[in-house]
Amino acid sequence: MKSIHLKRAVWLALVLLLAIQSTPADDSATAPASASKFLLRVNSTNQVYEFFQPWIKKPPFSRRGIGALIDGDRILVTAELVANSTFIELEKPATAEKSAATVERIDYDCNLAVLRPADPAFLAGMQPLALNGPLKVGDEATILQLEPNGDIAQTLGRITSISVAGYPSESGSLLLFKLGAPLQQRDGSFTLPAVRDGRLIGMLMRYDARNQSADIIPTAVIRHFLAEVNSPTYQGFARLGLAFAPLRDPQLRRYIGLKEPGSIYVTDITPRGSADAAGIKKGDVILAVDGLPLDQDGNYNDPDYGRILFSHLTNTIKHPGAVLPLKILRDGQTLEIPVTMQVANPDHAISETHLSDEAPKYLILGGLVFIELSRPYLKEWGSKWASNAPQRLVYYDAFQNELPADRGRIIILSQVLPTPDTIGYEDLENIVVTKVNGQPIKSLADLSEAAQKPLKGFHKIEFEEDPKLLFLDAASIQSNADELKKHYSLPALERL
Amino acid sequence: MTRFPLTALAFLCTVAALNAMEISKSLVRIEATSQEPNYKTPWSPGDVSSGVGAGFVVDGKRIMTNAHVVSNARFLTVSKEGDPNPYLAKVLHIAHDCDLALLSIENPAFFKSTVPLEFGGIPDIESVVSAYGYPVGGTRLSVTRGIVSRIDFQPYSHSGMDSHLAIQIDAAINPGNSGGPVMQNGKVVGVAFQGYSGDIAQNVGYMIPTPVIQRFLKDVQDGHYDHYVDLALTYRNLFNPASRRALSLEDETTGVQVCSVYSGGAADGIMKPGDVILKIDGHTVSSDGTIPLENEAVPLDEVVERKFKGDKVELEILRDGKPMALTVPLNEPWPFKLQSNLYDEKPRFVVAGGLVFQPVDQNFMDAHDPSDQRLNYIFDYFIADQLHTNRPEIVVLSNILPDPANAYAEEFRYSVVDEVNSQRIKRIEDIATAFDEQTDYYVIKFAGGGRPLVLERKAIEEARPRIRERYNVAAERNLKK
Repeated sequence: MKSIHLKRAVWLALVLLLAIQSTPADDSATAPASASKFLLRVNSTNQVYEFFQPWIKKPPFSRRGIGALIDGDRILVTAELVANSTFIELEKPATAEKSAATVERIDYDCNLAVLRPADPAFLAGMQPLALNGPLKVGDEATILQLEPNGDIAQTLGRITSISVAGYPSESGSLLLFKLGAPLQQRDGSFTLPAVRDGRLIGMLMRYDARNQSADIIPTAVIRHFLAEVNSPTYQGFARLGLAFAPLRDPQLRRYIGLKEPGSIYVTDITPRGSADAAGIKKGDVILAVDGLPLDQDGNYNDPDYGRILFSHLTNTIKHPGAVLPLKILRDGQTLEIPVTMQVANPDHAISETHLSDEAPKYLILGGLVFIELSRPYLKEWGSKWASNAPQRLVYYDAFQNELPADRGRIIILSQVLPTPDTIGYEDLENIVVTKVNGQPIKSLADLSEAAQKPLKGFHKIEFEEDPKLLFLDAASIQSNADELKKHYSLPALERL
Repeated sequence: MTRFPLTALAFLCTVAALNAMEISKSLVRIEATSQEPNYKTPWSPGDVSSGVGAGFVVDGKRIMTNAHVVSNARFLTVSKEGDPNPYLAKVLHIAHDCDLALLSIENPAFFKSTVPLEFGGIPDIESVVSAYGYPVGGTRLSVTRGIVSRIDFQPYSHSGMDSHLAIQIDAAINPGNSGGPVMQNGKVVGVAFQGYSGDIAQNVGYMIPTPVIQRFLKDVQDGHYDHYVDLALTYRNLFNPASRRALSLEDETTGVQVCSVYSGGAADGIMKPGDVILKIDGHTVSSDGTIPLENEAVPLDEVVERKFKGDKVELEILRDGKPMALTVPLNEPWPFKLQSNLYDEKPRFVVAGGLVFQPVDQNFMDAHDPSDQRLNYIFDYFIADQLHTNRPEIVVLSNILPDPANAYAEEFRYSVVDEVNSQRIKRIEDIATAFDEQTDYYVIKFAGGGRPLVLERKAIEEARPRIRERYNVAAERNLKK
């Protein structure tokens, strides 16, 4: 109790301080003093792997954003700002004093990261920003930016919508605020804090200049992230692991004999996800989650945000390990099924949606380049990757839940580096491997292992599509391996 | 790399002009009025358009032209040089897979002063040819002259899916040249049919060579066009030393590796992936898949190209290192043609409760251009992944004519129908049959297993007259091509 009182006292002090200093908002003489208390410029140099040639990185580029100092000497930024970072630098706005920083924790699901300066003394004299409580549609908030001289630039906006929506990692949806504000582009990115009454209401992550609308990661998500950061083992955001369709259609409701109001229809189950492990099936009708009835679009009544999608409850309010009862209608029977909320295991994915900060795996056999299918690989085809990339690969990525649960990773012969061993194969690209030397291939590790056991001196490689079958001379590629490495400047012939 | 079918010809010099004088007794100008069905509103008869192409008189009081000149034709007239009268014409035979057609003229007086042209062989590379027709830039006969640049297999853009022997010439060939004869030494050595459009290439025109023309003429001798027959397999070069040794090929032996053998095709059950084709009908197959034929290296397919339904192909192969002799009977043409452009066919569809169901083919995809990833995969890989073994036709919910009966169906647009009332939907006819059943509910399940779409019979029946009138649905179903 005591500590709570203490915290409140600090908050009150801070609010008071800010109130005084933000009154003459246009007075540049007073603004920097407050800004420098909790804002830091964050300059991140990032380097992304070239998925077409996974042994090299693309040229480095830099992103600039503004981080907010929060409790525990941490600087809160978006994950996107520091994704694939090779060097991060913090800069005090007024003095341009700099310190290198490291990522303490990054979570692409919620697009958040916390940084720490290499030198803890760097933060001396600064004051952490407290987190605000829930907001409502129509509430005002201020986006903070910095002038070149370190002065604070404020843009007032209004919350226009609060909903559960997709985050950049594409791995799921979380609570999102939309803030209408005429923002000017000042820094390299839109990683900017938004405040109200001197407290952080969220981190800006995207800005749509045409509609003057900013996407903000709200404090509900930030609090969940920080609670996980402070826990002994970071787990992140759990997922129910299902897709659903609204049950608005009265003809469908009559057909399935649904008497209760609301409810949703389960259309897809992620293999080995929380719902799958609990025995939820496609075709189940979910009436209530954790005792809270769902409306026909899947919304429940949240005490803070009103009618909002149930996944806010399951993913953000609840932490991994929580057990939630789901009220289900199946074959006319009402069941109560407890679901233990789990974080999605990337190892279970057939095609990973996100691979930041991770070196992509590859294996080169005699000049044939093998990789694992992933969304980042498909995205190398550019913004229209879904229509430009090979449709078989796009299909496997999009509908991976429908593939057999033991399908494993999809291994692709992505390209051929021409060598004397690959004569006649130069045109092969993006074809899916099924077997190597008779062994089914479900990972690059499988492929590496199978490549140790050639058949009668040949590597026999089989594909789902044409040419269906090809051979390599095992002894020849072994003796040519160094030459291949040297010739194409390959650091290694595999990274598993 | 878009190719355009041509629809016309021009005088180049005096030599050509002399030929032109003679040829004017054989050359005709074809005016075609055609009606292309609309695959978005399949019950409507479609838009009417007209075009001009060339043709020439051949043996048997017939006129030869390109299939694309007279496709979807509703009204055809033919006129000849020095005779201002248009004569009514009819399509006698049309072969969309090789872009050739034969026309007949109702009035026998038309042929009184005409001279049928004779066919030559394959012209030599670099030899001079003249192309005749009615290309854009005027209405009278035109001649252009050029040389034979290349003889090769080429995709025929009219069907979009078939490849045959074609001869590239550098004579200017433009829209309106289509169907016109390309002559050498007084004989037809080809029919002009396509070229390149845009800035990619200049002076690249293609003609259909006489082996393809002769095959067409022979095929229709029985009064019916049977289409090309095909081994329905894919093969690949065998240049790689490791692959050659692994497949037991001696140093001097040549051949190609069989990749896929399509189920339902001629070679299904006879050939296997990994077989090596050494000889086809006695012709030695080189490692790039060509055989020597009439002093030219042509793809081994040319042997099958010249055959007819009911013929056989003799193959010498290596399987697991052992030589074998196989015979492949060519009984039926490849049945799954949904990826080629289709002509002279009516769109098939069923409308029920304002939901429009259609089988998917190239015409459908061109008209709708759906961005549905599942549908695009199923269409693109229909043959390669042998998806036709599960469903001979891809039936989709193509459109929703909004009505209270189907107020919640929009999310299913372009979804592939798997089942209606637990009946597998393999063809558009199955949809018609399913909706003919008298049940309280019609439960439609789509590929991917999302929620079912449920329509109550009562709601459909109430909506029926309303939808027919509001959306001007002239017919609720057509199941005939």
